[in-house]
Amino acid sequence: MDDMRYLEIDVTAQTNKMTARGVDVFYGDTHAIKAVDVDILDKTVTAFIGPSGCGKSTFLRCLNRMNDTIDICRVKGTILLDGEDIYDPKVDSVQLRAKVGMVFQKPNPFPKSIYDNVAYGPKIHGLTRNKAELDEVVETSLRRAAIWDEVKDRLQSPGTGLSGGQQQRLCIARAIATSPEVLLMDEPCSALDPIATAQVEELIDELRSQFSVVIVTHSMQQAARVSQRTAFFHLGNLVEYGETGQIFTAPKDPRTESYITGRIG
Amino acid sequence: MNTPRKGSLLVQDARTKRRNAAEARFKAYGLTAIAVGVLALIVLVTSILGNGLSAFRQTEIMLTVELPESKLDKSGTRDLDVMKKVTTLTYGPILAKGLKDVIAANGIEIEGLTAKDVDAMISKEASAQLRDRVLADPSLVGQTVEITVLASGRIDGYYKGRVSLASAELDSNVTPAQLRLADALKDKGILVTKLNPAFITAPDASDQRPEAAGLGVAILGSAYMMIVVLVLALPIGVAASIYLEEFAPKNRWTDLIEVNISNLAAVPSIVFGILGLAIFINFGGLRASAPIVGGLVLTLMTLPTIIISTRAALKSVPPSIRDAALGVGASKMQAVFHHVLPLAAPGILTGAIIGLAQALGETAPLLLIGMVAFVREYPAAYSAADGLFGEPSTALPVQVFNWTQRADPAFFERASGAIIVLLVFLLIMNAVAIILRRRFERRW
Repeated sequence: MDDMRYLEIDVTAQTNKMTARGVDVFYGDTHAIKAVDVDILDKTVTAFIGPSGCGKSTFLRCLNRMNDTIDICRVKGTILLDGEDIYDPKVDSVQLRAKVGMVFQKPNPFPKSIYDNVAYGPKIHGLTRNKAELDEVVETSLRRAAIWDEVKDRLQSPGTGLSGGQQQRLCIARAIATSPEVLLMDEPCSALDPIATAQVEELIDELRSQFSVVIVTHSMQQAARVSQRTAFFHLGNLVEYGETGQIFTAPKDPRTESYITGRIG
Repeated sequence: MNTPRKGSLLVQDARTKRRNAAEARFKAYGLTAIAVGVLALIVLVTSILGNGLSAFRQTEIMLTVELPESKLDKSGTRDLDVMKKVTTLTYGPILAKGLKDVIAANGIEIEGLTAKDVDAMISKEASAQLRDRVLADPSLVGQTVEITVLASGRIDGYYKGRVSLASAELDSNVTPAQLRLADALKDKGILVTKLNPAFITAPDASDQRPEAAGLGVAILGSAYMMIVVLVLALPIGVAASIYLEEFAPKNRWTDLIEVNISNLAAVPSIVFGILGLAIFINFGGLRASAPIVGGLVLTLMTLPTIIISTRAALKSVPPSIRDAALGVGASKMQAVFHHVLPLAAPGILTGAIIGLAQALGETAPLLLIGMVAFVREYPAAYSAADGLFGEPSTALPVQVFNWTQRADPAFFERASGAIIVLLVFLLIMNAVAIILRRRFERRW
């Protein structure tokens, strides 16, 4: 893959899918995220980069309220999805997560068959009316996750028996089977080898045609390759947010420049 | 900085030698500990098997007896109400006569054998068994029938090594003449020692009749209690653990509950017996000796074990599975029931069966709620008067305890036999646990 490809990516003006304003996150007494404002554009790949412990994963988990499962975690500020506050007391986090899907750092397929892994989301949300429709959803999702050809003959074998890269693509298929509007990816390639990484990155680029994708990554090359917009986090602050090309070629903030040139992080 | 150490790799230095020696010593301690454990197990099993296996065999005498109408049914109508008035005292001499006839017919002559000795060859239980048989089939009256009767406990003991000619001299319960008669009968094939299914099926018998005592009521009582424990403790325990582990907020109250559950698991079981006596019998008005009370007490005792093991099983499910389920929009309950619980199932089942096995072997609390009573009637699972599992019964471990208290050494053999039965049940339960574990185990 050509590391300089970002220069050619053309970013057109698009509508906001998600808007975060003044988001603060506390873990007990620790102030993990400090007053972050971010706009996630529709049908765009947004990358969050920054050194370990800078809060990018924490912020990502705010976007579909996965932080709710952590008792000591408190979130302040507003996050809007299509203009609706997702932290409104009336919002059911289950419905939200059907719209904002998530892929995790470590591939975590259910210890069930490949078919059941993908079919689980549509089943619990009642997205299909019969087995034929479900079969179709499973096939489309696996095709779009670029794993169909590898697993079509063994849909009933356990998902945990696949290789790491296949498992991660299975998890992506599982996430897109519920037709989310936003797909959050928390370092999806950190456990994968370069070949599997390339496959997943290609996939992310394809997914852009339908979803907003937000990806957290440690690899600046990856951010440059797959994203159109990049946010740089440092010590809980959003330091700089803008078009990927501009962040990597002409960073405005000296901290961003130090990070991308390898002096901090 | 230290300087690199010099020296050949082929020679061990003092420090390495000391370390290796320490490791060798530690291995030796471990092996010794295991050897002691295995030895103890071998001694235990051999002693129980040596003492108890003979309880599964019993000496019996085959007789041909006349059942005279003049004695058993004076009215001649075969009316059961009339026949029931004839007690076992009438049946005893009939059996004695049958045995005398057999002795005479085979030309057996024993020096010093009295008529009373001949009577005492046959178990006191035999006349009751014959009476039951006649009452069940009144047409037998007036016929000559072949029956097999239990030999008395001492005669049985002679063939199991408890009684010898020398010890019979000193024993007022048995005479050497009886033993010689027994040998003569055995030579003719009239007296045989054979497999004894009644030990498993028959109810307990009184102090005078160890040869008739069986485990039927105790096994039934234990089975009823296990059903109660399984039906109550498993759902309550699993529901409590799922709530505490997955849903409950982590605060001071849940901490307090957690500490208390751990402490409950360590409470001596007899305390649960006192609790059961106070609450279920004195306050709740349930009947003493009833399996339902025993089951409730054992449920209370088993709950902490099940809760602790279930929570451990739930904790061992990797959080990534919960994240994955929540991430595709499953509710918390769906995540738990569709994904976490199936993965925790082997651990939960193992814990439940260990708890159940513990309950099966528990004696102390049952003594306090009266399950040590002498029960001859098989308890019904349901009766209108006493409700579900409300009829008095005993339990296997209590039966063992009870038999070891009795004077006749024949009961000691039977207690060991009961222990074998108990151990077999425990082995079966553990085997089931292993099989279920294998079947439900899934890798992730």
